[in-house]
Amino acid sequence: MKYFPLVWASIMRKPTRAILTLLSVMLAFTLFGLTIGMNATFAKVKEDARDDRMFVFARFGSAVPIALERQIESMPGVERVASSSVIGGYIQDPKNRTFVVMMDENIPKVFPEYPITPQQWQLIHNDRQGVLVSQMQAERWHLKVGDTVVIVSPAVKKLDGSNSWTFKVAAVTPDMAIFGQGYMFGNYDYMDKARVLSDQGKTGQFRVKVREASKTPEITEQIINRYANSSTPLDSITEKVAFDVSTGTGMDIASVDRDVALAGMFMVLFLTANGLAQAVRERFAEFATLKTIGFSDNGVIALVFAEAALPCVLGAGLGIGLAAVISNVMPHFLPPGQGLPIPTMTVMVFVWAFLSAALVAFMSAGLPALRLKQMDIATALSGR
Amino acid sequence: MLRQIWIVSALNFRSLKSRFWQSMVIVVGLAATVGVMLSMLSVSTGMRQAYYASGDPNRAIVVTKGVEQEPQSSITRAQAPLIAVAPGIAKDKDGKPLADRALMTSVPLLRKDGSKGFTTMRGLSEKGLGVRPEIKIAAGRMFQAGRRELIAGVGAQMMFRHMQIGDKVILPDGEWPIVGIYKTGDQLEGQLLGDTETLVTALHKPVYTTMLVRLASPASLDTFKKALTVNPALSVDVVRHSDWYKRVGDQNTFALALLGYVVGTVMAIGALFGCLNTMYSAVSNRGREIATLRALGYGAFPVAVSVILEAMLLSITGALIGAAIAWALYDGKLDLFGNVVFHLSVSPAQIELGVIWAAAVAMVGGLFPSIRAAKRPVVEALRAV
Repeated sequence: MKYFPLVWASIMRKPTRAILTLLSVMLAFTLFGLTIGMNATFAKVKEDARDDRMFVFARFGSAVPIALERQIESMPGVERVASSSVIGGYIQDPKNRTFVVMMDENIPKVFPEYPITPQQWQLIHNDRQGVLVSQMQAERWHLKVGDTVVIVSPAVKKLDGSNSWTFKVAAVTPDMAIFGQGYMFGNYDYMDKARVLSDQGKTGQFRVKVREASKTPEITEQIINRYANSSTPLDSITEKVAFDVSTGTGMDIASVDRDVALAGMFMVLFLTANGLAQAVRERFAEFATLKTIGFSDNGVIALVFAEAALPCVLGAGLGIGLAAVISNVMPHFLPPGQGLPIPTMTVMVFVWAFLSAALVAFMSAGLPALRLKQMDIATALSGR
Repeated sequence: MLRQIWIVSALNFRSLKSRFWQSMVIVVGLAATVGVMLSMLSVSTGMRQAYYASGDPNRAIVVTKGVEQEPQSSITRAQAPLIAVAPGIAKDKDGKPLADRALMTSVPLLRKDGSKGFTTMRGLSEKGLGVRPEIKIAAGRMFQAGRRELIAGVGAQMMFRHMQIGDKVILPDGEWPIVGIYKTGDQLEGQLLGDTETLVTALHKPVYTTMLVRLASPASLDTFKKALTVNPALSVDVVRHSDWYKRVGDQNTFALALLGYVVGTVMAIGALFGCLNTMYSAVSNRGREIATLRALGYGAFPVAVSVILEAMLLSITGALIGAAIAWALYDGKLDLFGNVVFHLSVSPAQIELGVIWAAAVAMVGGLFPSIRAAKRPVVEALRAV
């Protein structure tokens, strides 16, 4: 620590260079934070997903009769079945896209981890037009408890011929990682009773909770086989698979993110290595002086390493901080309904950032350190 | 003046060799920025192109009023004939309107790597080929109306398992053989096609998804649209097919494109600081040369311009390297996003964008150092030597 002033003085010898390098490193780590933070969000969603829960839906993309809910629930190994349907549409203007997931009364039992209290579920049970609105959605549409919100859904028609669905905000509830843009939960009964007759008694999908995760593949097969020759053949996918980002997109986005972060790191490595090599070259004679007054080889090398590490680590910290700020304000600037996963700055993101910063500093210091080790003090002092 | 700029710049460029590694900071910075940005944009651009290519100004699509994506639409069996008899639709040789009752549904398939994926299965009715002449059979034969058989697109064939002629696709009423492979040159290539009416029966779907018609002429859209919108039995939107796909394409690729630009911007700002750094030290290293030139009577402006030119040369070189890498790695590669099969694209327009990006970085990154170079008093600079 007592050498800190020495390192600081070396860095501040060229203040412009020091500041520009720091800013450059900071930006690269902002990118690092955003991409690796996005991966952290994916990982969190996947981690929260469970092996003992699955989606069951119509194999050929239509609605499923709600009557199957009880049938599936009575199958051996199945603990409970709930159903959900989506009313997708917009608020006022087609640009304001949003959706309401219409839940049946079993959802709270299948998803006990949802941050919604039994009292809140009861609210939408008592008032079928009630809707639970997550914090993020409430902010976006400026909704508070008691407000009325109308969702126009071109795809879900009502019995009276219209497609405007009126809801009353029953409660504002906490957000969840899986609903990156927030959520709204309504009551399935409202949707079912108000829909055109031909669509009544049908739901979008079942959420099946099995007793033992190890039995999931068997039960999946049983469900698929049982309905294979029915009018609605079913298909199923476990939450773990469904919530893996590559399943939905068919692309390994996590590795794309890593590549982007890596490109940023490469840029920074090149920049710091160059800057450091230049600084050492310029101050070669000074290092010789340090050696003359008794600094060991390793001592001098440690100083050079510190000179590289300081901007890297500081830049990493600032960069991740900036990424955190961007992640917080990002949802407010995206057009509603156009979802980008919001990065989360978990501890692991910080750890990786600091490890990368240290590695960049270490690699940058490599060549200059070698030169300092091999230097001939007399020649260096003479300035030749 | 131009001569002076040229002389000073030439002097700078010749001395680049002695500042090789330092100059490489700009080249590498911009190569990484542009390379990453174009690689990311290759997804959104390729996907958008596939959507755009699917549209045709000579066609009109009829969907449920207000829907934004085809699968959300539904046209009842009673509505379909009303739409087909509307004025403005081109007629086939037999005098029947070129109107296609389309059916869309998603089918689960296995991707080449064995994971679960989905693609769109589309029903074509008897006038389907007349409405979509771009469907060309590449191998095997066309499916026959009324028979339980399918044809697969070349894209689908490349992305999914069991898509060869003779392979079977499981549908609700049993296995349907693939009897042919088709090409279209657009997003339809990633899909499966079958006969609409046979699919309606198999899928127990009471409704069609959309209607696609060939217009008598591009100008007859208005006639057609008016006829449908005044009909109280219909509640539909009529959109020119090219406009429809332009909107769908823009909408479905917006988030991806945005991501590419955000990443590109953040990296460009990072590269900008690197560029400033390099140019400042280049200017201060060359203080003696610059001062000498100024003493000889060269103006401040040519000196400033030469600094910017140097930054430009380096960053555009970097951008071209980055673009070349992105192009070599990704351009033309077949990919799948959601259930859209498309070719990744690093187009000349994208490369141009990369170069503009680099030029902007160089402009800003060279400007401040150039001002410093030009403003430094000659006497002081000479004395400092």
